[in-house]
Amino acid sequence: MAPELVLAHARERDLTKLAEYEAVGGYQALAKAREMTPQAVIDEVQASELRGRGGAFFPTGRKWAFIPKPDQNPNPHYLVVNADESEPGSFKDNEIMATVPHRFIEGCLITAHAVEATRVFVYIRGEYTGPYEVLVGALEELQSRDDILGGVTIVLHRGAGAYICGEETALLESLEGKRGQPRTKPPFPAIEGLYRSPTVVNNVETMATIAPIIDLGGAEYAKLGVPDSRGTRVVSISGHVERPGNYEIENGTSMRSLIYDLGGGIPGGRALKAVIPGGSSTVILRYDEIDVGYDFNSLLALKTAMGSAGVVVLDDRCCMVQLGIRISEFYEHESCGKCTPCREGTRWMTQILRRLEAGDADQGELDLLLSVCDRINGKCLCPLGDTAAIAVASYVDKFRGEFQQHVDEGGCPFGDSSPLHNVLAPVAMRTHSPAAVVPA
Amino acid sequence: MSTPPTVKLTIDGVEVEVPKGTGLVEAALAAGIEIPVFCYEPRLGPPVGACRMCLCEITPGPPKPQAACTLQAADGMVVKTALTSPMAAEAQNATLEFILVNHPLDCPVCDKGGECPLQDLTFRYGPGNTRMTFPKRTFDKPIPISPLIALDRERCILCYRCTRFSEQIAEDGQLVAVNRGSETQIATFEDDPYRAPFTGNVIELCPVGALTSTTYRFEARPWEIQDVPTVCGLCPVGCNVYATTREGKVKRILSRNHPDVDGGWLCDKGRFAYQHVRAEDRLRDPLLRVRRRGFEEVSWERALDEAERLLREAEGRIVTALSGSETIEQAYALAKLLRGGLGSHAAMLPEEVSDALDGFRVPLSAIGDAKTIAVLGDAPVVERAPIVDLWIRRARRNGARVVNEPDGADILIWCGPGGDGGARVAQLAQQVGASGAFYLPETANARGVSDAWAAAADTEATNPDPIGLLIVSGDEAAANADVRALAEQAERVLVISMFHGLAAGWADLVLPGTSYLERDGTYVNLEGRVQRLRRAVIPPAPDELAWISQLAGRFGVDVSPYPTAVFEEVSAIAFGGIPFGAVGDHAELPPATQRVDQGSGPAGVRAQQFDGLHLIRYRALFSGPAVERTPELQFQRPLAEVELSAEDANARNIRPGDEVTVRSNGTSVTLRARLNRDLRAGVVRIAEEHARDLQPDVELST
Repeated sequence: MAPELVLAHARERDLTKLAEYEAVGGYQALAKAREMTPQAVIDEVQASELRGRGGAFFPTGRKWAFIPKPDQNPNPHYLVVNADESEPGSFKDNEIMATVPHRFIEGCLITAHAVEATRVFVYIRGEYTGPYEVLVGALEELQSRDDILGGVTIVLHRGAGAYICGEETALLESLEGKRGQPRTKPPFPAIEGLYRSPTVVNNVETMATIAPIIDLGGAEYAKLGVPDSRGTRVVSISGHVERPGNYEIENGTSMRSLIYDLGGGIPGGRALKAVIPGGSSTVILRYDEIDVGYDFNSLLALKTAMGSAGVVVLDDRCCMVQLGIRISEFYEHESCGKCTPCREGTRWMTQILRRLEAGDADQGELDLLLSVCDRINGKCLCPLGDTAAIAVASYVDKFRGEFQQHVDEGGCPFGDSSPLHNVLAPVAMRTHSPAAVVPA
Repeated sequence: MSTPPTVKLTIDGVEVEVPKGTGLVEAALAAGIEIPVFCYEPRLGPPVGACRMCLCEITPGPPKPQAACTLQAADGMVVKTALTSPMAAEAQNATLEFILVNHPLDCPVCDKGGECPLQDLTFRYGPGNTRMTFPKRTFDKPIPISPLIALDRERCILCYRCTRFSEQIAEDGQLVAVNRGSETQIATFEDDPYRAPFTGNVIELCPVGALTSTTYRFEARPWEIQDVPTVCGLCPVGCNVYATTREGKVKRILSRNHPDVDGGWLCDKGRFAYQHVRAEDRLRDPLLRVRRRGFEEVSWERALDEAERLLREAEGRIVTALSGSETIEQAYALAKLLRGGLGSHAAMLPEEVSDALDGFRVPLSAIGDAKTIAVLGDAPVVERAPIVDLWIRRARRNGARVVNEPDGADILIWCGPGGDGGARVAQLAQQVGASGAFYLPETANARGVSDAWAAAADTEATNPDPIGLLIVSGDEAAANADVRALAEQAERVLVISMFHGLAAGWADLVLPGTSYLERDGTYVNLEGRVQRLRRAVIPPAPDELAWISQLAGRFGVDVSPYPTAVFEEVSAIAFGGIPFGAVGDHAELPPATQRVDQGSGPAGVRAQQFDGLHLIRYRALFSGPAVERTPELQFQRPLAEVELSAEDANARNIRPGDEVTVRSNGTSVTLRARLNRDLRAGVVRIAEEHARDLQPDVELST
């Protein structure tokens, strides 16, 4: 069992309390970092080989190093934390913010020091009312602690229910008060981000990993995990497993172990059919592909990815066409409408998949589905449309027989017995409605 | 001057060298190659890469098609368009297939059909058939965005050109996208009408038939129209336009993009008020006052006889009131007739003009590049010369400061009373060392009319008393209260007017006037640029120059009926001898003249101190004879509002939207308060039609 770094001590203590967090050595990494020059902090993080935990896996230290120095660009620097976790299958950031808010905040403050920012914006998913209240409480406790805040202002900003605002440039647009739609890149946020100023956008888990790295030292952290995937990862396991939940694992742990050891296996002694390895936007793995390390390179070899570490386990009763509809409906609903292939293509995909499921599709429409996916993939402004197409195309690719059966038999062989309601919430449940009232 | 650095790249095997910073779409154009686009429009600011029509294979870069419109040409770049790259061809074809999946095939009844970029690009790059077998997305159609614009949401391809114009160019922020994904729609807040000075530009920006003009809908097909290049005659900017005509009628006005004058934008008055040409009360025949029977329509022969008689009977005691909307040729011809034939040259010019500014002459586009702009004179720029407001906004977006004191400004703009026709602002420009200065006159061709009038004279005119004959030239003069007062004193009055009614009751002879859309000739705009008017449609009566020429003949004065000849005559005296043909379709700005010492005037810009608040009454953009005759523009008329600064509002406890009473000398008007942060403290503004009898010195209370 790997050491817990991000979630350390969270089970035995209430780390939402400042005193408790300080009792386990909290905010000492911050003090240590502030003794160092910003460049030394960046070097330390580069030595740790930490890569972004939001899904794109970009080396964090390198991202920070892109920020121009104040003499190159006089505009203020900003740190924006992407806490808009909305990927179906991922719920790790929720738990991190709810259980170790101070470790997260400490990471933000260290990062602010490293990139010479005095303003931090945390863009938190609007529906995450629980973690929001925890963070509000934690920041209130810090109000009188100038020794910790060190002149840095942390602003919590609640999103308004759009998946696309988890895309960093759409997030910045939304944060600026505009319609949440991605920008073209370049310019990248490091050069022109929030308010056209140099901006670092990092994921919650990335931030919560910074303090342990400074604590341990980058080189020590890099001893964990496997090449290109160092350290630990908080993985959300859901779907047809005995013990769904978040688990902090060492990168490189096998997928089989995630499903059968941590997740406790498939309930009712059923057989594994497939597993979505990294949230809804990743290429699905068949039951016979799970003897693979949970790390960047091993999954890349299978043309898939860790993404945002949402492992969704599906048992043998699941209909892949129904899964396709569920995913396609989600992306259709969440497409921002800016670029053509995603806006029109996801809608068309859903229409074809629904016809397949109803048994009204002919052979040509199965080919058409793949053609539409192919025409979306690689043509979009941001990854949303691409991933919708890749994910659905992978279901056809790996379960072609099942799709064919829908055409040949003129209907769904699974009917209403496909238990997807336990797996991924349908779009109807994601439609934004006034959530619990949260103090502003 | 050093030449800008260039880069060399290859597009479809053609090597081109373009200035550094050139976008790929333009670089390809330089190589004679098309990169198709919908959302790309450089005038709307940075590219957005939304429509994905421009996908090309580009190295260096990721191994997938790139949005060429978002990239700049770089050394060694290799671009392959659909012409040479199967990857690009497939991607562009895919984009068109996706656009057409939900686009209705109502081209036969669509106003855009035949001049539609979506049709054209589908023809060149798109699929010839459809694989879509599901019901298309439908909406109610069309719905009004305003009385001027209809929106067909089914045809909309969501390129966001219109919303970008509203948000980033006009900055009115009224047109937005609502909902998400394939349900996205263009809309206004709570379905309020899109009410702003520049709304019509979104019709021209729309690459499909989603936004159409309510005044042009179903009026013509593109293959039966003619676009006549001319300039707008409704304000001193002189935007370059095409007047689209069909069967001898003006059907619409489009921008003809003069990059230094209008940047390709038009105000709604210039775009839509053309309908006044065919107003029901348009005068077609001369009217003669006949005792007891009022006016009688008479033949032109009879009218010219009467005009000749009026001119002879006045024995030289003639005053001419000019509108400022006459062409240079008209004004010169009239002046030559009166001067040469009758020895009478007294005129009431539409407004004061001065050549003092010629030393600070720069194109309007220079405002867009300025660092500090001083807007002086307190009248609203957008109401007087709307496009200037867009140039100021552009400068502000580029980081310029906009102030209302001249110190430190590199561009000065005088808009309002008390500018001495530009002499005052020239003086200030000299004092602060500005690089350019503008005076915004109230009429379209005040400078041209004044120069043309002066060109026909060799001596200063003296004002006759009593006035034997008052000649009122044009509707603006006819509507002017001072001119009417003069008419009271005159023994006889001859009016040239486009519309019935304006001169009824006080004219002895009314001759039909023509519109700027019906004339050949030239105007001088507020920059000092001589621009060419072309006759788009035949007027219902002979134009002014034609009958002035005939009338002049009766007095032995030689006036040509042809604007070309008249212009060359006046040009030799007043416009440096430029020939008519050299004015060109995109007129050039004459270079600034040698600056002459303007002397020093009073310190500061305020001419007069007031005890209370100083009221600026202004003629609203959406007012005047042409607007009054365009039903669709009525919703744009000025609201019953008083504009005031935040400072004055706070001092009086007035909040935006409050009903306030504006008082002066015993009269009062109740209006809604609107706060304007660009307004100086101590100044309030009310549109002429709401200001009634208020004096310049006013006080406000809730």
